[in-house]
Amino acid sequence: MQGRGLNIILALYVALIFTFIFAPILFSLVFSFNSQRFPTIPLGEFSTEWYVKIFNDPDVWQAVRNSLIVSSSTAVLGTALGFCTAYSDFRYNFRFKGPYLALILLPPTIPLIIMALAMLAWLSRIGLSGQLWSIILAHSVLTAPFAMAIIRLRLHQMDPDLEAAAWNLGGNEWQAMRHVILPFCAPAIVSALCLTAAVSFDEFAVAWFVSGLNKTVPIVILEIVQGNIDPQVNAIGTFVFLTSMTLVILAQAIFISRQIKSHS
Amino acid sequence: MSAPRRLNLYALTWRLPIILWQLMFFVGPVLFMVAISFFVVRNYRMTEAFEFVNWEKMLTRGYFWDSYWYTLFIASLSASVAMLVAFPAAWALAFRASDNLRRWAVFLLVIPFFTSYLVRTFSWYVILAESGVLNAMLGYIGLGPFKMLNTHFGTVVGYLTLTLPLAVILQTVTMANIDKTLIEAARNLGCKPLATIWRVVLPLSRTGFIVAALFCFILAFGDFVAPFYLGGSQEPTLPILILDTTKSGQQWPRAAVVAIMMMLTLFTVAFTAIALAYRKPAGSR
Amino acid sequence: MTNPLVTFRNVEKRFGDFVAVRDMTLDIHEGEFLAIMGSSGCGKTTTLRMLAGLESPTAGEIRIGGRLMNDVRPHERDTPLVWQSLALFPFLSARENVEFGLKMRGVAAAERKHRALDWLDRMQIAEFAERNVATLSGGQKQRVALARSLVMEPQMLLLDEPLSALDANLVIRMQGVLTRLQKELGITFVYVTHSQSEAFAMADRVVIMSQGDIAQTGAPRDIYRAPANRFVAEFVGRNNILTGTVTTTNTGGTEIATPQGNFTAQTPTPPPQTGQQVSFTVSADLVSLSGDAPGTVNQARATLISEEFIGSVVTLFLEGPEGQEYKVQMQERALTGFDLTPGTDFWLSWEPGNANILEAG
Repeated sequence: MQGRGLNIILALYVALIFTFIFAPILFSLVFSFNSQRFPTIPLGEFSTEWYVKIFNDPDVWQAVRNSLIVSSSTAVLGTALGFCTAYSDFRYNFRFKGPYLALILLPPTIPLIIMALAMLAWLSRIGLSGQLWSIILAHSVLTAPFAMAIIRLRLHQMDPDLEAAAWNLGGNEWQAMRHVILPFCAPAIVSALCLTAAVSFDEFAVAWFVSGLNKTVPIVILEIVQGNIDPQVNAIGTFVFLTSMTLVILAQAIFISRQIKSHS
Repeated sequence: MSAPRRLNLYALTWRLPIILWQLMFFVGPVLFMVAISFFVVRNYRMTEAFEFVNWEKMLTRGYFWDSYWYTLFIASLSASVAMLVAFPAAWALAFRASDNLRRWAVFLLVIPFFTSYLVRTFSWYVILAESGVLNAMLGYIGLGPFKMLNTHFGTVVGYLTLTLPLAVILQTVTMANIDKTLIEAARNLGCKPLATIWRVVLPLSRTGFIVAALFCFILAFGDFVAPFYLGGSQEPTLPILILDTTKSGQQWPRAAVVAIMMMLTLFTVAFTAIALAYRKPAGSR
Repeated sequence: MTNPLVTFRNVEKRFGDFVAVRDMTLDIHEGEFLAIMGSSGCGKTTTLRMLAGLESPTAGEIRIGGRLMNDVRPHERDTPLVWQSLALFPFLSARENVEFGLKMRGVAAAERKHRALDWLDRMQIAEFAERNVATLSGGQKQRVALARSLVMEPQMLLLDEPLSALDANLVIRMQGVLTRLQKELGITFVYVTHSQSEAFAMADRVVIMSQGDIAQTGAPRDIYRAPANRFVAEFVGRNNILTGTVTTTNTGGTEIATPQGNFTAQTPTPPPQTGQQVSFTVSADLVSLSGDAPGTVNQARATLISEEFIGSVVTLFLEGPEGQEYKVQMQERALTGFDLTPGTDFWLSWEPGNANILEAG
């Protein structure tokens, strides 16, 4: 193909796509420091008004606390579930392995609004709804597949003789787990913790349905947005972006750097 | 792996808790949702029963089917638009970018896929508003203002916010994995550039593309934020219907009917797509 | 000889329908260097894995030091293995790798470190003790893997193609290291390989396996000079194989009529029947070459096809009138004076004592 001209057009096109994807994030950041109530161009003055406002809002603080509890607990639980499944898949062949894997991998393919309704109905029925940990239970199911995928990829990179080598040197299965499998998977586990925390931190549909009166940060955003345009959202949004972006970047960076290392 | 095959405590430790947990918090909720679709609501309280009244009420109403076909239409449209819009970019990243650049691009695209969709949608709300940023910019070159919020356009922009990063990632990865020598061979045999895409690249990446389109469809089909905030929900989609029925009317059983209809639709679409994806190539084309 | 250290009695290992090891009976003695050799899929690695407890036999008995081992789990055995992949723990330093087994056995930290450093020193890689194993060279990793197994002070060391990843020069060096170690320590080495040169260079005794069966067991020299059957003769290579009918047989020799002429071979025990179809082998380095007919008992005419030099040894490939292939191996300097243009005719001859009749089958 006509190399030069086409390459320039393609480069511009890719730039356009990236602009579309990242524009809302950038604008949200810009708007959060903008004095206008209805942000537009030309921009208003630089202002930290919205940050001051949310900083002095006890509801926001409570939501942040809730979000931190939920996402960190979810991360631990979801990663544990993901690890167990990934290891079972790696180590064993057994009957009904297909359904077993489907059991953990399917939740993300079901729309969140449906999961939200199902969780709400079921958790109320068994008396577990309306609590902060109702969100944690639901989120553990939603995030485990991501952890499973990351850890399974890592196990795939492992020399399958490594575990047997530990037995061969006198370690029983538990010792081999503790001294070989876990250290080998450590980067993937940290990566999975970051990613599951990010997913949980951002999830609003299921959290909104099952949490009762306990609000997490995305629920606060949802409620503000339902009212009217309020640039407070941009300030909270910027905080949410920074948190979850950091987690996702960390998750990727840890995983990729370890991958490169193990290939050298 | 080998080693002793018998089922022991060690093996069960890694397998059993997950099964119980997922039965309790995944299969349980989904099955119970099916069950409550037969329950009845009396005096604002849900009562156990086995009646088809909710199914009847929902499936005989015109507004349910209007909403159903609209959701199917707008989700298919968005998935198609996402796939088409993503293609040139994915093609460029797969075939024209260096390995390093491609890795960085995928790295960057993964971030928005996992980060606050809600805030990004709100940001679009402000950008697309009547006196918002986009109309202000268009105004400088003498265009507009256009009404973009509360239109199909707004809804599709919202869906693209959700699906486009994924579409670009999956398409890029799929095409980057194609054996480059096959494409060179086609070019050497005199295949024209567009024909190469049509006859070589697309057939070789069929499975990846169908999976990508399927995921875009699932995401759009189940999303309530874009149609609610950017589409104005004048034509409520099924997720909005679930939301309204659950949150305001306390009519969980009817919401469950809608949810089950959605799941059945998704299963049908997914099975068809997967059958297509793994079907043997028919002839040569 | 005392009781064998390891006994296999009618051991069988199946994976579904596939029989990896069939009815194996074998003794392994204390302090011997035993090589198990065969091509891939012959069952040699499965045999080794059964010794380490990584597979359990589906039939028969395996005993180590008299104790029945069939269902003893890997970690309850004292059978360290040097893996083909080496299986070093990539997240640990060289020293920590060597300490691993001691740690599993509950040896205190200080002693562990002391013993590990001792062995690293003995393997001449003490200076790399604190380096991550990923940064070591192939030969250094090999030494870490050996140290990691030997620090356990086992009675028997299992080795699964440990040299297959190394380049040719390093293989020779490591062969020296291994034989010296084995003599110094006086322990049993069970060494699995597909390489004839490795097995014959190091082992006291070689077991050749084929499709789950033991094809022959014996000292390298015996296998080389007198392959028991066609499989071994072909596997070992450098053998001329001729087939014909027995015309007479007595203790002095057996006469065999072949399309290439009549030949005399050593009479095996039990002797073959007259009229029986048999094959016999002559090792390529025991065939003499001459321009004119030597006039001895075993002589055959052949045309030179090609030659191959490896160091100072030359292998000539020839073809007889009926398409029979011959291989002749000799020192390069012994060939001066011969015209080695392909197409030249030669006479080949060998002593009756060097012609060995193969078992039927």
